[in-house]
Amino acid sequence: MKAALSPMLARLADERATGVLVRDRGALYLADGQVVHAESPEAPGIDVLLTACGRLPRAGWEEAVEQAGARNEVGRFLVDSGRLAGGELEICHLGALFDAAFFALTPGSGPTRFRYGVSHWIGPVRPVPAATVTREASRRRALLAAVWPYPDVDSAPVVPRAPTTGRWITRRQRSVLNLADGVRTPEAIARALGRPAFPTLLDVRRLAAGGLVETPAGPAPPPTPPAPAWVAREYAATDIALLRRLRDALEESL
Amino acid sequence: MPGIEKCLLHAMELPGARGAAIVDWISGLALGTVGEPSGADHETTAAETAELARMAAEYSAFAPAGPDRPDKEPPVQDLILITRTDFHLIRFVETTFDSSVFLHLWLDRDTGNLALARIRLQSIAERLVLG
Repeated sequence: MKAALSPMLARLADERATGVLVRDRGALYLADGQVVHAESPEAPGIDVLLTACGRLPRAGWEEAVEQAGARNEVGRFLVDSGRLAGGELEICHLGALFDAAFFALTPGSGPTRFRYGVSHWIGPVRPVPAATVTREASRRRALLAAVWPYPDVDSAPVVPRAPTTGRWITRRQRSVLNLADGVRTPEAIARALGRPAFPTLLDVRRLAAGGLVETPAGPAPPPTPPAPAWVAREYAATDIALLRRLRDALEESL
Repeated sequence: MPGIEKCLLHAMELPGARGAAIVDWISGLALGTVGEPSGADHETTAAETAELARMAAEYSAFAPAGPDRPDKEPPVQDLILITRTDFHLIRFVETTFDSSVFLHLWLDRDTGNLALARIRLQSIAERLVLG
């Protein structure tokens, strides 16, 4: 499975470009051709991962962004000020990076554009080669498909089913199931747990394969684009992807 | 503050060390590698060790028993795998935030010291997240 944007990303990596690659489902930040950050409205950000579990108080995170955000050194500030260990920051940030990149690199998700010179306020943490990020994203897609080949369960509200037999489920799956109330989507569950989205999708697919959550019949309705505040905040200039999403949202409400 | 790179290099200082990696056991992704891969390449090795780690972390046979079982995640701390020529040590890294990573150390059986490596890997895993 080759993502359509691979050639573009490969070219940007070759020319050691710095900037942000914006797509419908997320954005990749490059520095010198390497991926240094990724974000997606479908994946909890590093702030959620660190604050939901209480590792950092909200106020502590906000203070770090306030102090070091303007000079794009929030990551370094968190470590230098003793709020996080170096390894913790790297593990958590890489987890968030690959998680968001998985959605950002979804094949065929609308137009792709690159804005040169943009860098992210988290600053350098642990850059990853662009090829590694693309490979990992398609590997993860294959992993999900191998478990339960019905992508509809990824975006639909998770509806638990009465187990037919006493099936063993893991603790992580139990915590997902505990929050499955027929309203929350896998993404909302991930956010509530302070857990990256991909492991949650994998658990939901495993639960669906085991008959413990419903698999929606037929194609799920197109996901309603989430409030694009994150895009508006980051990119003041005209954003084709955003306009497209707005148009889709407007058309849906006709 | 030691990051991933420094911790892996510390692990490689152990006698008999041939390769080390920090791997996510849910996705099978290597977050960092040093030395040689014990399998075809670092990516394949990471995916395969992750599969083994995942079984240990998730299967009911290895779930802690008894009423006063600690509620720590994952329940497994170490995995030791011994082949005719090598030692493989897997140490799960405990973090306060939600994560699923382990350290994998590959040692030569003739020159490696399993007991020493296990103790050292444990302290490396702790320092990685405690600073």
